[in-house]
Amino acid sequence: MPDLDRRDFLRLVGLGAGAAATAACSDPVEKLVPYVIQPEVITPGIAVNYASTCRECPVACGLHVKTREGRPIKLEGNPVHPINQGKLCARGQAGIGRTYHPDRIEGPMARGADGNLSPVSWEDAERLLADKLRAGGNKTWVLGASRGPTVDGIIDAVVSGVGAGGRIVYETFSQDGLRQATALVFGRPVLPLFDLSGADLVLDFGSDFLDGAPNSIEYMRQFSDAQDVAKHPGGGAKMITVGPRLSMTGSNADQWLPARAGSEGIIALALAKAVADRSGRSVSPAIASALSGATANVASETGVDPAAFQKAVDLLLHAKSAVAMPPGVGATGTQATATAAAVLVLNAVLGAVGSAVTLPEEETVPAAANQDAVRRLTEHMKGGKVDVLLVHDANPVYSVTGGLGFAEAIKKVGFVVSFASMVDETSAVADLVLPDLTPLESWGDAEPRKGIRSLQQPTVRPLKDGRPLGDVLLAAARTAGAAGLPDGKTQDVLKANWSGSNWRQALDRGGEFAPAATTGAAVSDAIQGLSVAMPKLLGSGDYDVVAYEHSFLGDGRGAAMPWLQEIPDPVTKANWVSYAEISNGTAAKLGVKFGEVIRVDTGAGAGSIELPVYPRGGVRDDVVAVAIGQGHTEGLYASMANDGAPGVARGVSVLSVLPDVSDEAGAGAFLSTRASLSKTGGFSRIPLTQWTDNQRGRELIPEVSLSALAASKPKSSHFEADEGGHMDGPPFQYDMAYDASPESEYRWGMTIDNDRCTGCSACVAACYIENNIPVVGQEGQTRRRDMSWIRIERYIGDGDVSGGYARRPHPDGEQLGKVDVRQAPMLCQHCGAAPCEAVCPVIATYHTPEGINGMVYNRCVGTRYCANNCTYKVRRFNYFDYSRENWPGLLGMMLNPDVTVRGQGVMEKCTFCVQRIEAARQPAKDQGVPIPDGAVQTACQQSCPTNAITFGNSKDPKSVVVAKASDEKRSYHSLQILNTRPAVTYLKQVRRIADDSSHETKKGSH
Amino acid sequence: MTPPPATAAVDMMRPTTVPQDSQINRDVMSVTKGVSWQWGLLLSMALIGVAQAIFTLAYQTYVGLGIAGYQSPVFWGVYIINFVFWIGIGHAGTLISAILFLFRAKWRNAINRGAEAMTVFAVLTAALFPLIHIGRLWKFYFLIPYPNQRALWVNFKSPLLWDVFAINTYMLISIIFFFVGLVPDIAIARDRATGIKKVAYTLLALGWQGTGRQWKAHNRTVLHLAGLATPLVLSVHSVVSWDFAMSIVPGWHATIFAPYFVAGAIFGGFAMVLVVMIPVRRIFRLEAYITDYHFDNMSRFILFTSLICGYAYGAEYFIAWYSGVEFEQTSFWLRLFGPYWLSTWFMISFNVLFPQLLWIKKLRTNVPFLFVLCVFINIGMWFERYVIIITSLSREYIPAAWGLYIPSLAEMSILLGSFCWFSMFFLLFLKFLPIIAIAEMKELIIHDKAHAAQESH
Repeated sequence: MPDLDRRDFLRLVGLGAGAAATAACSDPVEKLVPYVIQPEVITPGIAVNYASTCRECPVACGLHVKTREGRPIKLEGNPVHPINQGKLCARGQAGIGRTYHPDRIEGPMARGADGNLSPVSWEDAERLLADKLRAGGNKTWVLGASRGPTVDGIIDAVVSGVGAGGRIVYETFSQDGLRQATALVFGRPVLPLFDLSGADLVLDFGSDFLDGAPNSIEYMRQFSDAQDVAKHPGGGAKMITVGPRLSMTGSNADQWLPARAGSEGIIALALAKAVADRSGRSVSPAIASALSGATANVASETGVDPAAFQKAVDLLLHAKSAVAMPPGVGATGTQATATAAAVLVLNAVLGAVGSAVTLPEEETVPAAANQDAVRRLTEHMKGGKVDVLLVHDANPVYSVTGGLGFAEAIKKVGFVVSFASMVDETSAVADLVLPDLTPLESWGDAEPRKGIRSLQQPTVRPLKDGRPLGDVLLAAARTAGAAGLPDGKTQDVLKANWSGSNWRQALDRGGEFAPAATTGAAVSDAIQGLSVAMPKLLGSGDYDVVAYEHSFLGDGRGAAMPWLQEIPDPVTKANWVSYAEISNGTAAKLGVKFGEVIRVDTGAGAGSIELPVYPRGGVRDDVVAVAIGQGHTEGLYASMANDGAPGVARGVSVLSVLPDVSDEAGAGAFLSTRASLSKTGGFSRIPLTQWTDNQRGRELIPEVSLSALAASKPKSSHFEADEGGHMDGPPFQYDMAYDASPESEYRWGMTIDNDRCTGCSACVAACYIENNIPVVGQEGQTRRRDMSWIRIERYIGDGDVSGGYARRPHPDGEQLGKVDVRQAPMLCQHCGAAPCEAVCPVIATYHTPEGINGMVYNRCVGTRYCANNCTYKVRRFNYFDYSRENWPGLLGMMLNPDVTVRGQGVMEKCTFCVQRIEAARQPAKDQGVPIPDGAVQTACQQSCPTNAITFGNSKDPKSVVVAKASDEKRSYHSLQILNTRPAVTYLKQVRRIADDSSHETKKGSH
Repeated sequence: MTPPPATAAVDMMRPTTVPQDSQINRDVMSVTKGVSWQWGLLLSMALIGVAQAIFTLAYQTYVGLGIAGYQSPVFWGVYIINFVFWIGIGHAGTLISAILFLFRAKWRNAINRGAEAMTVFAVLTAALFPLIHIGRLWKFYFLIPYPNQRALWVNFKSPLLWDVFAINTYMLISIIFFFVGLVPDIAIARDRATGIKKVAYTLLALGWQGTGRQWKAHNRTVLHLAGLATPLVLSVHSVVSWDFAMSIVPGWHATIFAPYFVAGAIFGGFAMVLVVMIPVRRIFRLEAYITDYHFDNMSRFILFTSLICGYAYGAEYFIAWYSGVEFEQTSFWLRLFGPYWLSTWFMISFNVLFPQLLWIKKLRTNVPFLFVLCVFINIGMWFERYVIIITSLSREYIPAAWGLYIPSLAEMSILLGSFCWFSMFFLLFLKFLPIIAIAEMKELIIHDKAHAAQESH
């Protein structure tokens, strides 16, 4: 430009700079684009549900995938599925994240000459796989979890078609001990089915039947129904828990026998003998023979107090239908089979076999390989006898116990193929990565029990360049020239498998559900001479290492899910990190306090781990308990990548220091070693969402005894008129209708039955995902910037006025052998006289005509006065612009479009799922009727496995919520004395076994 | 307050040699003359302090309040503490210039200008903090009730809104009061100034000639403004206290809060007056004007308000115990022995125990001692607000939600910035406006001369 002189130049520069500055001032405008051709089933603004199957654990619950405008936004339970019946646990809820996860692998990758994984085309990748399959021959092995009949069938066909060495059906927690025990006791190697709905006493032998254990969602429902005081005037089912550590399941018990780790079987057998002897029930000779092996010295062998043991025996003698639940992961030692067998024998003595305990006619899920099988494969790998290893739906590099040396062995394998859809430790060492599609993107099916056939259908187009496992295997095997393969792709095979069914109806309902076919069982003679000993523990230390299954992380597969990391552990209320639970006595002995780092040295696998301690009253002195699941080095949330340190492990993996031990029958043992503990001098802050479990006699979560429940007059709260008469509290029975506009037909209200709450936190997960609640990560949690709108509070007993002095207390009210845990969800109470509403200077929080405590984000300036004045502390503040940072990658696509994503500097809190109320209003309006009772289900209510939460119109005298709230013996309001007139009515927890030791609640004196 | 015997007072008040009017003009105006390097250094430090705070604030506004130490359940922190602290400081000035004016406590004349200036600057500092504190600074105008297209209105039930009115009213009145009192002195400065300064002073002097009519109007204005300002002294901090007292938080919800806060504010404000005036007196050689008598009176006032504070502390604990309400009892018990015990004991020692030394007459006129004591009182008063706000919030109704708050670096940066902001104003004030009310000083001297003349007869 020859004409450009100095002035023009300056002018242009100025213009450019100005334009750039202006453009930088505002976010780019994004326009909504309407459909040119409206898809048939999509109405913008209306959610469409597709029935599918949950793949987060082997239980295979039924799903309803809620989609909006073609995007899955939430997973809910399929109401017609017989196992979960419309409910979904926290892990299942979080499963939606797998589809949108930032860890997802973009496309196929192969390890190049430079040793790094680099993208390749699918054609090349499949050709490479075919070549390897052809060359591998019987030195090819497949390792992975069961994926349902169809995909399993494809894998098996491919394995035999290419003449591979074999397939290892791998589950970290194989349950093989229980299977072998069933074979021993009943003569068939199957997993027994338990039905707790008719039980009046449940014995939990470290079974985790209310959290991690398979089918826990079903057990929760059955157990809480069995406990229902409305249906069972006698008070419903009681529960005794046995084990060295008070777990979430144990927290729901009425009695705790704090037995030595691994002594569950000894106790079970001793209980069975005591019951058989004292009840005079006739037992078969086989059982009698088995019982003769019971110990006479329960107390000395198991560390259980004889009086407590006698009390348990008495309870068992009084029980009409007691059921014993076999040990879960944390209690499987070298005697796992014998222990489980002892528990089954106890069931037989209790008369539960055939009613509460049945055997499936046929097992439909292939039995997961036991430790011996995995060890054999590992030996092959070490010996160079495995050329090609195909890994799908498993992360063995992480999850195989350290003592086996799988991580080293896999390096000796010529060619490792990973089908992971998200990066994990195994895909990181693979030579070929062929990303599978997620369950929400692909076809499949499941048959968790005979007769229960569940379909899995894609609900969204693949978001990444992945291909379904079955298709890839079939294609490669065909190229490799394998014979005997099914025709077509996975979808065709699936349809062929379902050809006998009404396909359309099955898709619609999520599958075909017939009652699971079960049979009774007879105790076989093989149990004669059953003997249960204490498990043999390796290692030389003084402490038994109890590696237990984390409620949310499972075998580590949940660690990638930000919500599962963020939701606090139901027992310890810690999140995001690993910690070692030791007793207060052990902590004193080691000279460590909460958060100080110790070294746990087992000498096996990686040798030792270092992690902060969490001293508890709820573990035995001779135990160090560590949850399985953390310690990943790959993944945004699973590792420390999200906290700025990619490749650094988040917490530690206790699996890495467990030796290679299996039980009598070859099943993997997790209670396998002892460890020596030593103080390192380090300190590591454990994020806690709750710092104390002492409710200081404030009756925040009160309980009611069976005798008070049976008495005619309701027991008064100590806040109500006492002898002096000057402590008159506000009236309990107030008219909630007053708290809504007189013109309004509705006053939304909720009841929460604490007696049904197990603490499982499914409601918390549901709330996170329904309401677009940001996850603040480890740093945010360390600073107590939890954003969740609902939390489970956990207190021990009534509490007293001691404590509260420490700068950083931690929950420490538990006592060994005593279980008086109070748990209840706390969420916005939508008070009629809300303290928050009065103090907001800009009317950002206000009372809606329908009685909801509304929150207008746009109006909020963030004075945070409401949060200070909220007596329930349920208001959350957006400290940062979470909307910008907290849904990286495609995670933003799973946001619920009905719920505003909150910006920086505003308050937020529970809205009673107002978007769901609005969604129900329109159909009701169309029909000209009021919103029917039950038409609105809040997210927490919908997911609650025990139906502890009800929601409805408090102005409707016929509504369920009013009926529940008017239970005058159990209903109460949190902090009733403050007269905030909450819309949430709690129902007191029932104390089913009176505590012998006196409960002394020191009240109000300093 | 009983004044000392008239003769003694006069002895103490009277400068050793009675200065001429021109001498007063010279002495007082000499403060404004010239710029020393020390002054320049101090001002630069203040400006740097302000600049770093502005940077912090900008960063905080951009990324969010997460950089402050807030964590559930403590949603108010150092910013609100600073707000209450500075509003409290801003009370002494009005008390001295309005209430003591109405009571004809003539001894105030030597210190009232400094105190008034301090008030204005403190209120200017305090008024920033509600803005710094809120989550969406850019939406602060939502708090102002004016007809608007957003169809938004404010909540007149909220004490925070009362605050908006209280602070703005107080700021307005104290600035006007300050300015009106300054007019005659600005005229003196005008008469002595040259160049651009002369133009500025001429504008600010509003054509002051010192005529009888002008003096009459001036005195009436001051009187009326004093009448207006007097209730404000009591009301502003009462309203501020209602931010807390109107809530349901254990430890806040108490009827004693209004008088308790007002007494505390005056206490802290007086201490701040001394902290500021003692160095000024020393550096600018104003010993002839600010005398032992002033220190004695100020000390008595501080002692008196300290006793009120002590009484209020005691009453709070007594009521917490006597109420029988466990929430209150726990809140107060943990104030003394909980995680924030140190701040509570700072507060009690600095505000109640240490000032008891003022019962000793010698210490009341011991200037270095007073300076140190007043610095401690100011620290104590800051901690008083810290204790009230933080300990109460950290231990509320739901023990499961109990938490802790530790101020962050960002908050400390802005705390430092607030002192620098205040100092910046004060340093500029020293160089541009007379630190002692010349006209009122002369008035005092005239009286004195008259008395002296009577005595000599």
